Amino acid sequence: MSTIRVRSAASYWLAVPAAIWMLGVVVVPILLLGWVSLWGGRSFSPASPLTFDNYTKFFANKTYLQLVLTTVTHTVGLMAVTGVIGYAIAYFMTMKVRHSAWRLVLFLAFVVPFWTSALIRGIAWVPFLGVNGVINQALMFTGATHSPIEAFLYSRFGISMAQASLYTMMAAGPVIYMLNSIAPQLREAAMTLKAPPLVVFWRIVLPLTLPGVVIGQVLVFLNVMADFATVATVGGNKHAMLPNLVLLFYEGSQHRAASVVAVLLMACMLIGVVAAMKVVDIRRLGAER
Amino acid sequence: MRLGWKLRSNLVGWVLGILTVAFLAYQWLPILTLGLLSFAGPTGGTTFPMNGVSFHWYEELWQASVMNDFKPPLLRSSLLAAACALTTIVLSVMAAQAMRGKFRGNSAFFYLMLLGIMAPGILVGFGFAIMMRLLGVELSWNTTTFLVHVSWTLPFGFLTMLAVFNRFDSRIEEAALTLGASRITTFRRITLPLILPGVIGAGLFGFSLSYDEYPRSMFTTGPDQTLPLAVMGQLDRQLTPEIYAIGTTTTVFSLIAVLLCTSALWAMRRSTSYRKT
Repeated sequence: MSTIRVRSAASYWLAVPAAIWMLGVVVVPILLLGWVSLWGGRSFSPASPLTFDNYTKFFANKTYLQLVLTTVTHTVGLMAVTGVIGYAIAYFMTMKVRHSAWRLVLFLAFVVPFWTSALIRGIAWVPFLGVNGVINQALMFTGATHSPIEAFLYSRFGISMAQASLYTMMAAGPVIYMLNSIAPQLREAAMTLKAPPLVVFWRIVLPLTLPGVVIGQVLVFLNVMADFATVATVGGNKHAMLPNLVLLFYEGSQHRAASVVAVLLMACMLIGVVAAMKVVDIRRLGAER
Repeated sequence: MRLGWKLRSNLVGWVLGILTVAFLAYQWLPILTLGLLSFAGPTGGTTFPMNGVSFHWYEELWQASVMNDFKPPLLRSSLLAAACALTTIVLSVMAAQAMRGKFRGNSAFFYLMLLGIMAPGILVGFGFAIMMRLLGVELSWNTTTFLVHVSWTLPFGFLTMLAVFNRFDSRIEEAALTLGASRITTFRRITLPLILPGVIGAGLFGFSLSYDEYPRSMFTTGPDQTLPLAVMGQLDRQLTPEIYAIGTTTTVFSLIAVLLCTSALWAMRRSTSYRKT
Protein backbone atom coordinates (compact mmCIF):
# COMPACT_ATOMS: atom_id res chain seq x y z
CA MET A 1 0.00 0.00 0.00
CA SER A 2 1.30 3.42 -0.86
CA THR A 3 0.03 6.82 -1.91
CA ILE A 4 -0.56 5.46 -5.39
CA ARG A 5 -2.52 2.33 -6.26
CA VAL A 6 -0.77 -0.10 -8.57
CA ARG A 7 -2.08 0.04 -12.14
CA SER A 8 -4.61 2.72 -11.19
CA ALA A 9 -5.95 5.28 -13.65
CA ALA A 10 -4.31 7.98 -11.53
CA SER A 11 -0.83 6.58 -12.12
CA TYR A 12 -1.49 6.60 -15.84
CA TRP A 13 -2.74 10.19 -15.93
CA LEU A 14 0.15 11.45 -13.80
CA ALA A 15 2.57 10.29 -16.49
CA VAL A 16 0.64 11.77 -19.41
CA PRO A 17 1.93 15.41 -19.27
CA ALA A 18 5.58 14.37 -19.20
CA ALA A 19 5.00 11.81 -21.95
CA ILE A 20 3.27 14.33 -24.23
CA TRP A 21 6.03 16.87 -23.61
CA MET A 22 8.80 14.40 -24.50
CA LEU A 23 6.94 13.04 -27.52
CA GLY A 24 6.16 16.47 -28.90
CA VAL A 25 9.58 18.04 -28.36
CA VAL A 26 11.99 15.12 -28.78
CA VAL A 27 10.44 12.19 -30.65
CA VAL A 28 8.30 13.96 -33.25
CA PRO A 29 11.01 16.48 -34.29
CA ILE A 30 13.60 13.72 -34.70
CA LEU A 31 11.20 11.61 -36.78
CA LEU A 32 10.44 14.76 -38.72
CA LEU A 33 14.15 15.12 -39.53
CA GLY A 34 14.08 11.60 -40.96
CA TRP A 35 11.16 12.60 -43.17
CA VAL A 36 12.67 15.93 -44.24
CA SER A 37 15.93 14.19 -45.19
CA LEU A 38 13.96 12.31 -47.87
CA TRP A 39 12.35 15.38 -49.44
CA GLY A 40 13.17 15.92 -53.08
CA GLY A 41 12.15 18.69 -55.43
CA ARG A 42 12.99 22.37 -55.21
CA SER A 43 10.65 23.82 -52.62
CA PHE A 44 10.89 23.12 -48.92
CA SER A 45 7.41 21.80 -48.20
CA PRO A 46 5.70 18.59 -47.01
CA ALA A 47 4.34 18.19 -50.56
CA SER A 48 7.83 17.31 -51.83
CA PRO A 49 8.31 13.93 -53.51
CA LEU A 50 10.31 11.43 -51.47
CA THR A 51 13.72 10.36 -52.80
CA PHE A 52 17.06 9.11 -51.57
CA ASP A 53 18.82 11.81 -53.62
CA ASN A 54 19.96 13.75 -50.55
CA TYR A 55 21.68 10.65 -49.21
CA THR A 56 23.33 9.67 -52.48
CA LYS A 57 24.59 13.24 -52.81
CA PHE A 58 26.07 13.06 -49.31
CA PHE A 59 27.71 9.68 -49.79
CA ALA A 60 29.11 10.68 -53.19
CA ASN A 61 31.25 13.30 -51.45
CA LYS A 62 34.52 11.84 -50.19
CA THR A 63 35.12 14.76 -47.80
CA TYR A 64 31.87 14.08 -45.95
CA LEU A 65 32.59 10.36 -45.69
CA GLN A 66 36.00 11.19 -44.30
CA LEU A 67 34.28 13.45 -41.78
CA VAL A 68 32.05 10.60 -40.56
CA LEU A 69 35.13 8.42 -40.11
CA THR A 70 37.04 11.22 -38.34
CA THR A 71 34.16 11.84 -35.95
CA VAL A 72 33.91 8.17 -35.01
CA THR A 73 37.65 7.62 -34.54
CA HIS A 74 37.98 10.87 -32.59
CA THR A 75 35.15 9.74 -30.31
CA VAL A 76 36.57 6.25 -29.81
CA GLY A 77 39.96 7.72 -28.97
CA LEU A 78 38.44 9.99 -26.34
CA MET A 79 36.43 7.08 -24.92
CA ALA A 80 39.67 5.14 -24.42
CA VAL A 81 41.49 8.06 -22.78
CA THR A 82 38.62 9.14 -20.51
CA GLY A 83 37.83 5.50 -19.69
CA VAL A 84 41.34 4.71 -18.42
CA ILE A 85 41.89 8.00 -16.56
CA GLY A 86 38.33 7.94 -15.23
CA TYR A 87 38.71 4.41 -13.89
CA ALA A 88 42.02 5.25 -12.24
CA ILE A 89 40.50 8.30 -10.53
CA ALA A 90 37.41 6.36 -9.46
CA TYR A 91 39.55 3.54 -8.05
CA PHE A 92 41.75 5.97 -6.15
CA MET A 93 38.81 7.87 -4.67
CA THR A 94 36.88 4.83 -3.48
CA MET A 95 39.63 2.35 -2.59
CA LYS A 96 42.68 4.39 -1.67
CA VAL A 97 41.28 7.45 0.10
CA ARG A 98 40.50 6.25 3.60
CA HIS A 99 39.05 9.35 5.23
CA SER A 100 35.49 10.02 4.14
CA ALA A 101 36.01 13.78 4.54
CA TRP A 102 38.85 13.75 2.01
CA ARG A 103 36.75 11.62 -0.31
CA LEU A 104 33.97 14.21 -0.13
CA VAL A 105 36.39 17.08 -0.80
CA LEU A 106 37.83 15.28 -3.84
CA PHE A 107 34.39 14.37 -5.09
CA LEU A 108 33.16 17.97 -4.82
CA ALA A 109 36.32 19.28 -6.50
CA PHE A 110 35.58 17.01 -9.44
CA VAL A 111 31.83 17.51 -9.61
CA VAL A 112 31.48 21.26 -9.02
CA PRO A 113 32.66 22.25 -12.54
CA PHE A 114 29.78 20.17 -13.86
CA TRP A 115 27.37 22.76 -12.54
CA THR A 116 29.05 25.46 -14.58
CA SER A 117 28.64 26.07 -18.27
CA ALA A 118 30.41 23.61 -20.58
CA LEU A 119 30.57 26.40 -23.14
CA ILE A 120 32.52 28.65 -20.76
CA ARG A 121 34.78 25.76 -19.82
CA GLY A 122 35.45 25.18 -23.51
CA ILE A 123 36.27 28.87 -24.00
CA ALA A 124 38.56 28.72 -20.96
CA TRP A 125 40.84 26.43 -22.94
CA VAL A 126 41.48 29.09 -25.60
CA PRO A 127 43.96 31.23 -23.58
CA PHE A 128 45.52 27.97 -22.45
CA LEU A 129 46.33 26.47 -25.80
CA GLY A 130 47.28 29.41 -28.05
CA VAL A 131 50.72 30.22 -29.42
CA ASN A 132 51.24 32.63 -26.50
CA GLY A 133 49.12 30.42 -24.29
CA VAL A 134 49.82 29.11 -20.84
CA ILE A 135 51.03 25.69 -21.99
CA ASN A 136 53.48 27.10 -24.49
CA GLN A 137 54.81 29.63 -22.00
CA ALA A 138 55.27 26.88 -19.44
CA LEU A 139 57.04 24.67 -21.98
CA MET A 140 59.35 27.47 -23.06
CA PHE A 141 60.01 28.52 -19.46
CA THR A 142 61.12 25.00 -18.55
CA GLY A 143 63.17 24.83 -21.73
CA ALA A 144 61.24 21.92 -23.20
CA THR A 145 60.90 23.82 -26.47
CA HIS A 146 62.50 26.97 -27.85
CA SER A 147 59.75 28.12 -30.16
CA PRO A 148 56.05 27.92 -29.28
CA ILE A 149 54.14 24.90 -30.53
CA GLU A 150 51.30 25.94 -32.79
CA ALA A 151 49.68 22.53 -32.72
CA PHE A 152 47.60 23.15 -29.58
CA LEU A 153 44.93 25.69 -30.48
CA TYR A 154 42.82 25.13 -33.58
CA SER A 155 43.84 21.47 -33.79
CA ARG A 156 42.33 18.04 -33.16
CA PHE A 157 44.82 17.61 -30.32
CA GLY A 158 43.64 20.78 -28.61
CA ILE A 159 40.01 19.74 -29.04
CA SER A 160 40.82 16.38 -27.47
CA MET A 161 42.58 18.06 -24.54
CA ALA A 162 39.58 20.26 -23.81
CA GLN A 163 37.09 17.42 -24.23
CA ALA A 164 39.10 15.11 -21.98
CA SER A 165 38.83 17.69 -19.21
CA LEU A 166 35.11 18.11 -19.86
CA TYR A 167 34.08 14.45 -20.03
CA THR A 168 36.44 12.31 -17.97
CA MET A 169 34.24 12.61 -14.89
CA MET A 170 31.32 11.26 -16.91
CA ALA A 171 33.35 8.08 -17.37
CA ALA A 172 34.41 8.06 -13.71
CA GLY A 173 31.06 8.81 -12.03
CA PRO A 174 29.26 5.51 -12.76
CA VAL A 175 32.43 3.57 -11.87
CA ILE A 176 32.60 5.34 -8.50
CA TYR A 177 28.98 4.35 -7.92
CA MET A 178 29.67 0.69 -8.77
CA LEU A 179 32.90 0.54 -6.74
CA ASN A 180 31.06 1.88 -3.72
CA SER A 181 28.47 -0.86 -3.98
CA ILE A 182 31.05 -3.71 -3.84
CA ALA A 183 30.90 -5.32 -0.41
CA PRO A 184 34.37 -5.15 1.22
CA GLN A 185 33.91 -8.75 2.36
CA LEU A 186 34.20 -9.91 -1.25
CA ARG A 187 37.72 -8.55 -1.61
CA GLU A 188 38.64 -9.71 1.89
CA ALA A 189 37.44 -13.22 1.07
CA ALA A 190 39.51 -13.33 -2.10
CA MET A 191 42.55 -12.01 -0.26
CA THR A 192 42.15 -14.51 2.59
CA LEU A 193 42.14 -17.23 -0.05
CA LYS A 194 45.55 -15.88 -1.12
CA ALA A 195 44.60 -14.27 -4.42
CA PRO A 196 47.27 -11.74 -5.46
CA PRO A 197 45.98 -8.12 -5.63
CA LEU A 198 46.05 -8.07 -9.40
CA VAL A 199 43.93 -11.22 -9.56
CA VAL A 200 41.48 -9.73 -7.05
CA PHE A 201 41.17 -6.69 -9.26
CA TRP A 202 40.89 -8.63 -12.50
CA ARG A 203 38.51 -11.37 -11.32
CA ILE A 204 36.41 -9.57 -8.68
CA VAL A 205 36.54 -5.77 -8.87
CA LEU A 206 36.63 -5.22 -12.63
CA PRO A 207 33.71 -7.56 -13.51
CA LEU A 208 31.57 -6.02 -10.78
CA THR A 209 32.24 -2.48 -12.02
CA LEU A 210 31.81 -3.34 -15.69
CA PRO A 211 28.23 -1.95 -15.88
CA GLY A 212 29.57 1.36 -14.54
CA VAL A 213 32.33 1.37 -17.13
CA VAL A 214 29.83 0.74 -19.92
CA ILE A 215 27.44 3.47 -18.75
CA GLY A 216 30.34 5.90 -18.47
CA GLN A 217 31.52 5.03 -21.95
CA VAL A 218 28.01 5.55 -23.32
CA LEU A 219 27.85 8.99 -21.70
CA VAL A 220 31.23 9.98 -23.14
CA PHE A 221 30.32 8.55 -26.54
CA LEU A 222 27.04 10.46 -26.74
CA ASN A 223 28.53 13.71 -25.51
CA VAL A 224 31.62 13.71 -27.70
CA MET A 225 29.68 12.67 -30.80
CA ALA A 226 27.30 15.60 -30.35
CA ASP A 227 29.80 18.15 -29.03
CA PHE A 228 30.15 20.85 -31.66
CA ALA A 229 30.60 23.76 -29.25
CA THR A 230 34.06 22.71 -28.05
CA VAL A 231 35.05 21.88 -31.61
CA ALA A 232 33.94 25.36 -32.68
CA THR A 233 35.60 27.29 -29.83
CA VAL A 234 38.87 25.37 -29.51
CA GLY A 235 39.06 24.06 -33.08
CA GLY A 236 38.21 27.37 -34.73
CA ASN A 237 36.88 27.26 -38.26
CA LYS A 238 39.51 24.80 -39.38
CA HIS A 239 38.02 21.75 -37.79
CA ALA A 240 34.61 20.17 -37.98
CA MET A 241 32.86 17.04 -36.79
CA LEU A 242 29.50 15.68 -37.90
CA PRO A 243 27.38 17.97 -35.67
CA ASN A 244 29.28 21.02 -36.97
CA LEU A 245 28.24 19.95 -40.45
CA VAL A 246 24.58 20.07 -39.36
CA LEU A 247 25.14 23.63 -38.23
CA LEU A 248 27.01 24.55 -41.40
CA PHE A 249 24.23 23.27 -43.65
CA TYR A 250 21.59 24.90 -41.45
CA GLU A 251 23.29 28.29 -41.67
CA GLY A 252 23.43 27.84 -45.44
CA SER A 253 19.67 27.17 -45.42
CA GLN A 254 20.32 23.66 -46.75
CA HIS A 255 17.79 22.09 -44.42
CA ARG A 256 17.55 18.79 -46.28
CA ALA A 257 21.31 18.24 -46.28
CA ALA A 258 21.41 19.17 -42.59
CA SER A 259 18.66 16.60 -41.96
CA VAL A 260 20.67 13.91 -43.74
CA VAL A 261 23.66 14.56 -41.47
CA ALA A 262 21.35 14.65 -38.44
CA VAL A 263 19.89 11.27 -39.36
CA LEU A 264 23.36 9.77 -39.82
CA LEU A 265 24.51 11.18 -36.50
CA MET A 266 21.43 9.77 -34.77
CA ALA A 267 22.01 6.39 -36.43
CA CYS A 268 25.62 6.24 -35.20
CA MET A 269 24.47 7.07 -31.68
CA LEU A 270 21.64 4.53 -31.70
CA ILE A 271 24.03 1.78 -32.79
CA GLY A 272 26.35 2.68 -29.94
CA VAL A 273 23.61 2.79 -27.31
CA VAL A 274 21.96 -0.44 -28.45
CA ALA A 275 25.32 -2.21 -28.36
CA ALA A 276 25.87 -0.97 -24.80
CA MET A 277 22.36 -1.97 -23.69
CA LYS A 278 23.15 -5.53 -24.76
CA VAL A 279 25.84 -5.53 -22.08
CA VAL A 280 24.04 -3.89 -19.14
CA ASP A 281 20.49 -3.33 -18.01
CA ILE A 282 20.37 0.38 -17.16
CA ARG A 283 17.14 0.06 -15.23
CA ARG A 284 18.65 -2.15 -12.55
CA LEU A 285 21.23 0.44 -11.55
CA GLY A 286 19.06 2.73 -9.47
CA ALA A 287 17.49 -0.14 -7.53
CA GLU A 288 18.41 -1.01 -3.97
CA ARG A 289 20.68 -4.01 -3.71
CA MET B 1 63.39 -8.74 -6.15
CA ARG B 2 59.72 -9.18 -5.35
CA LEU B 3 58.15 -6.30 -3.52
CA GLY B 4 55.83 -7.00 -0.61
CA TRP B 5 52.13 -6.61 -1.45
CA LYS B 6 51.69 -3.83 1.06
CA LEU B 7 54.45 -1.79 -0.52
CA ARG B 8 53.05 -2.45 -3.95
CA SER B 9 49.57 -1.40 -2.80
CA ASN B 10 51.05 1.81 -1.42
CA LEU B 11 52.90 2.38 -4.66
CA VAL B 12 49.72 1.94 -6.68
CA GLY B 13 48.00 4.32 -4.31
CA TRP B 14 50.67 6.97 -4.86
CA VAL B 15 50.64 6.62 -8.62
CA LEU B 16 46.86 6.84 -8.78
CA GLY B 17 46.87 9.69 -6.29
CA ILE B 18 49.33 11.74 -8.33
CA LEU B 19 47.26 11.05 -11.44
CA THR B 20 44.09 12.17 -9.67
CA VAL B 21 45.61 15.40 -8.38
CA ALA B 22 47.18 16.10 -11.77
CA PHE B 23 43.84 15.62 -13.46
CA LEU B 24 42.15 17.84 -10.89
CA ALA B 25 44.64 20.58 -11.75
CA TYR B 26 44.05 19.92 -15.45
CA GLN B 27 40.33 20.36 -14.95
CA TRP B 28 40.52 23.48 -12.81
CA LEU B 29 43.47 25.43 -14.25
CA PRO B 30 41.66 26.69 -17.37
CA ILE B 31 38.76 27.96 -15.25
CA LEU B 32 41.15 29.68 -12.84
CA THR B 33 43.14 31.17 -15.73
CA LEU B 34 39.92 32.51 -17.17
CA GLY B 35 39.14 34.14 -13.84
CA LEU B 36 42.62 35.60 -13.52
CA LEU B 37 42.75 37.00 -17.06
CA SER B 38 39.38 38.70 -16.62
CA PHE B 39 41.12 41.12 -14.26
CA ALA B 40 43.61 42.25 -16.92
CA GLY B 41 44.26 45.97 -17.43
CA PRO B 42 42.49 48.04 -20.12
CA THR B 43 45.20 47.24 -22.67
CA GLY B 44 45.27 43.61 -21.59
CA GLY B 45 45.34 40.92 -24.21
CA THR B 46 43.63 37.57 -24.06
CA THR B 47 46.62 35.69 -22.69
CA PHE B 48 49.57 36.06 -20.33
CA PRO B 49 51.51 38.17 -19.45
CA MET B 50 48.72 40.32 -18.03
CA ASN B 51 49.01 44.04 -18.76
CA GLY B 52 48.19 45.36 -15.33
CA VAL B 53 45.38 44.50 -12.98
CA SER B 54 42.02 46.22 -13.08
CA PHE B 55 38.26 45.85 -13.07
CA HIS B 56 38.18 47.46 -16.52
CA TRP B 57 36.54 44.52 -18.27
CA TYR B 58 33.91 44.19 -15.58
CA GLU B 59 33.14 47.90 -15.92
CA GLU B 60 32.94 47.38 -19.66
CA LEU B 61 30.48 44.60 -19.00
CA TRP B 62 28.39 46.84 -16.80
CA GLN B 63 28.32 49.86 -19.15
CA ALA B 64 28.11 47.75 -22.28
CA SER B 65 26.82 49.15 -25.55
CA VAL B 66 23.88 47.68 -27.41
CA MET B 67 26.06 45.29 -29.38
CA ASN B 68 27.52 43.36 -26.49
CA ASP B 69 25.19 44.10 -23.61
CA PHE B 70 25.01 40.95 -21.56
CA LYS B 71 22.45 42.17 -19.04
CA PRO B 72 19.23 41.44 -20.98
CA PRO B 73 20.45 37.93 -22.00
CA LEU B 74 21.43 37.30 -18.38
CA LEU B 75 17.96 38.28 -17.22
CA ARG B 76 16.31 36.11 -19.87
CA SER B 77 18.47 33.10 -19.05
CA SER B 78 17.73 33.44 -15.34
CA LEU B 79 13.98 33.72 -15.85
CA LEU B 80 14.01 30.81 -18.28
CA ALA B 81 16.04 28.68 -15.89
CA ALA B 82 13.68 29.45 -13.00
CA ALA B 83 10.66 28.52 -15.12
CA CYS B 84 12.37 25.29 -16.20
CA ALA B 85 13.22 24.44 -12.59
CA LEU B 86 9.59 24.83 -11.47
CA THR B 87 8.20 22.87 -14.43
CA THR B 88 10.81 20.14 -13.93
CA ILE B 89 9.91 19.79 -10.26
CA VAL B 90 6.18 19.45 -10.88
CA LEU B 91 6.39 17.14 -13.89
CA SER B 92 9.16 14.91 -12.56
CA VAL B 93 7.47 14.34 -9.19
CA MET B 94 4.26 13.47 -11.03
CA ALA B 95 6.06 11.14 -13.43
CA ALA B 96 8.07 9.39 -10.72
CA GLN B 97 4.94 8.94 -8.60
CA ALA B 98 3.27 7.48 -11.69
CA MET B 99 6.14 5.01 -12.08
CA ARG B 100 5.43 3.74 -8.55
CA GLY B 101 1.92 2.94 -9.77
CA LYS B 102 3.45 0.65 -12.45
CA PHE B 103 0.93 1.81 -15.07
CA ARG B 104 0.75 -0.07 -18.34
CA GLY B 105 3.54 0.96 -20.65
CA ASN B 106 5.72 2.25 -17.80
CA SER B 107 8.87 0.73 -19.26
CA ALA B 108 8.21 2.43 -22.62
CA PHE B 109 7.69 5.65 -20.67
CA PHE B 110 11.02 5.15 -18.90
CA TYR B 111 12.83 4.75 -22.21
CA LEU B 112 11.04 7.80 -23.59
CA MET B 113 12.48 9.87 -20.75
CA LEU B 114 15.90 8.31 -21.24
CA LEU B 115 15.72 9.31 -24.89
CA GLY B 116 15.50 12.93 -23.77
CA ILE B 117 18.93 12.59 -22.15
CA MET B 118 20.49 10.60 -24.95
CA ALA B 119 19.18 12.54 -27.94
CA PRO B 120 21.83 15.14 -28.79
CA GLY B 121 20.79 18.73 -28.18
CA ILE B 122 21.76 19.89 -31.63
CA LEU B 123 19.36 17.39 -33.25
CA VAL B 124 16.48 18.11 -30.87
CA GLY B 125 16.93 21.84 -31.38
CA PHE B 126 17.25 21.55 -35.14
CA GLY B 127 14.28 19.17 -35.47
CA PHE B 128 12.11 21.33 -33.26
CA ALA B 129 13.04 24.45 -35.23
CA ILE B 130 12.05 22.72 -38.48
CA MET B 131 8.78 21.60 -36.90
CA MET B 132 7.99 25.15 -35.74
CA ARG B 133 8.83 26.45 -39.21
CA LEU B 134 6.44 24.00 -40.84
CA LEU B 135 3.76 24.88 -38.30
CA GLY B 136 4.43 28.58 -38.81
CA VAL B 137 5.18 29.28 -35.15
CA GLU B 138 7.35 32.29 -34.32
CA LEU B 139 10.53 31.38 -32.37
CA SER B 140 11.03 33.07 -29.03
CA TRP B 141 13.10 32.50 -25.91
CA ASN B 142 10.08 32.33 -23.61
CA THR B 143 7.97 29.94 -25.69
CA THR B 144 9.87 27.59 -28.01
CA THR B 145 13.13 27.67 -26.06
CA PHE B 146 11.23 26.97 -22.86
CA LEU B 147 9.54 23.91 -24.40
CA VAL B 148 12.84 22.51 -25.65
CA HIS B 149 14.74 23.22 -22.41
CA VAL B 150 12.20 21.37 -20.29
CA SER B 151 12.55 18.32 -22.54
CA TRP B 152 16.23 18.38 -21.53
CA THR B 153 15.87 19.12 -17.80
CA LEU B 154 12.81 16.94 -17.13
CA PRO B 155 14.53 13.53 -17.62
CA PHE B 156 17.26 14.48 -15.14
CA GLY B 157 14.67 15.51 -12.56
CA PHE B 158 12.73 12.33 -13.29
CA LEU B 159 15.77 10.07 -12.75
CA THR B 160 16.55 11.94 -9.52
CA MET B 161 13.02 11.36 -8.26
CA LEU B 162 13.10 7.69 -9.33
CA ALA B 163 16.29 7.19 -7.32
CA VAL B 164 14.66 8.94 -4.34
CA PHE B 165 11.55 6.76 -4.53
CA ASN B 166 13.70 3.61 -4.93
CA ARG B 167 15.08 4.24 -1.47
CA PHE B 168 11.79 5.44 -0.05
CA ASP B 169 10.29 3.43 2.81
CA SER B 170 6.62 3.17 1.85
CA ARG B 171 5.73 1.63 5.23
CA ILE B 172 5.62 5.19 6.53
CA GLU B 173 2.90 5.96 4.01
CA GLU B 174 1.12 2.75 4.97
CA ALA B 175 1.05 3.86 8.59
CA ALA B 176 -0.61 7.15 7.65
CA LEU B 177 -3.09 5.43 5.34
CA THR B 178 -4.12 2.83 7.91
CA LEU B 179 -4.66 5.64 10.39
CA GLY B 180 -7.29 6.96 8.00
CA ALA B 181 -5.52 9.70 6.07
CA SER B 182 -6.55 10.03 2.45
CA ARG B 183 -3.98 9.37 -0.29
CA ILE B 184 -3.74 13.08 -1.12
CA THR B 185 -3.26 14.07 2.51
CA THR B 186 -0.67 11.34 3.03
CA PHE B 187 1.24 12.48 -0.01
CA ARG B 188 1.13 16.12 1.06
CA ARG B 189 1.89 15.63 4.75
CA ILE B 190 4.11 12.51 4.78
CA THR B 191 5.61 11.74 1.38
CA LEU B 192 6.41 15.24 0.16
CA PRO B 193 8.39 16.39 3.22
CA LEU B 194 10.43 13.17 3.08
CA ILE B 195 11.33 13.49 -0.59
CA LEU B 196 11.93 17.26 -0.38
CA PRO B 197 15.75 17.04 -0.68
CA GLY B 198 15.28 15.09 -3.91
CA VAL B 199 12.76 17.65 -5.12
CA ILE B 200 15.27 20.44 -4.52
CA GLY B 201 17.89 18.40 -6.37
CA ALA B 202 15.53 18.02 -9.33
CA GLY B 203 14.94 21.78 -9.29
CA LEU B 204 18.67 22.44 -9.20
CA PHE B 205 19.13 20.22 -12.24
CA GLY B 206 16.33 22.10 -13.96
CA PHE B 207 17.86 25.48 -13.23
CA SER B 208 21.48 24.85 -14.06
CA LEU B 209 20.93 22.67 -17.13
CA SER B 210 18.65 25.28 -18.65
CA TYR B 211 20.84 28.21 -17.61
CA ASP B 212 23.90 26.73 -19.33
CA GLU B 213 22.17 25.19 -22.34
CA TYR B 214 23.59 26.20 -25.70
CA PRO B 215 22.81 23.68 -28.51
CA ARG B 216 19.06 23.47 -27.83
CA SER B 217 18.78 27.26 -27.64
CA MET B 218 20.76 27.88 -30.79
CA PHE B 219 18.02 26.94 -33.25
CA THR B 220 14.94 27.76 -31.20
CA THR B 221 15.49 31.17 -29.66
CA GLY B 222 14.71 33.81 -32.23
CA PRO B 223 15.96 37.42 -32.02
CA ASP B 224 16.16 37.86 -28.21
CA GLN B 225 19.14 35.77 -27.19
CA THR B 226 19.86 33.85 -24.01
CA LEU B 227 23.20 34.23 -22.23
CA PRO B 228 25.16 31.30 -23.79
CA LEU B 229 24.08 32.48 -27.24
CA ALA B 230 25.21 36.03 -26.49
CA VAL B 231 28.57 34.76 -25.21
CA MET B 232 29.10 32.63 -28.31
CA GLY B 233 28.07 35.54 -30.54
CA GLN B 234 30.62 37.79 -28.87
CA LEU B 235 33.29 35.09 -29.22
CA ASP B 236 32.59 34.92 -32.96
CA ARG B 237 33.02 38.69 -33.30
CA GLN B 238 36.09 39.21 -31.16
CA LEU B 239 37.90 37.50 -28.32
CA THR B 240 38.40 40.10 -25.58
CA PRO B 241 38.90 39.78 -21.83
CA GLU B 242 35.26 40.87 -21.63
CA ILE B 243 34.30 37.30 -22.51
CA TYR B 244 36.48 36.12 -19.66
CA ALA B 245 34.70 38.57 -17.38
CA ILE B 246 31.24 37.33 -18.34
CA GLY B 247 32.48 33.71 -18.13
CA THR B 248 33.84 34.29 -14.65
CA THR B 249 30.65 36.04 -13.58
CA THR B 250 28.33 33.23 -14.70
CA THR B 251 30.65 30.57 -13.26
CA VAL B 252 30.61 32.30 -9.88
CA PHE B 253 26.85 32.65 -10.23
CA SER B 254 26.47 28.90 -10.86
CA LEU B 255 28.78 28.03 -7.98
CA ILE B 256 26.80 30.21 -5.58
CA ALA B 257 23.56 28.50 -6.69
CA VAL B 258 25.08 25.04 -6.08
CA LEU B 259 26.48 26.15 -2.73
CA LEU B 260 23.12 27.51 -1.58
CA CYS B 261 21.28 24.34 -2.57
CA THR B 262 23.78 21.92 -1.05
CA SER B 263 23.85 23.85 2.19
CA ALA B 264 20.04 23.84 2.21
CA LEU B 265 20.09 20.06 1.70
CA TRP B 266 22.70 19.65 4.39
CA ALA B 267 20.76 21.74 6.88
CA MET B 268 17.61 19.78 6.07
CA ARG B 269 19.32 16.42 6.54
CA ARG B 270 20.76 17.63 9.82
CA SER B 271 17.41 18.74 11.12
CA THR B 272 15.68 15.46 10.14
CA SER B 273 18.42 13.28 11.62
CA TYR B 274 18.25 15.39 14.76
CA ARG B 275 14.55 14.66 15.02
CA LYS B 276 15.15 10.92 14.68
CA THR B 277 17.57 10.66 17.59
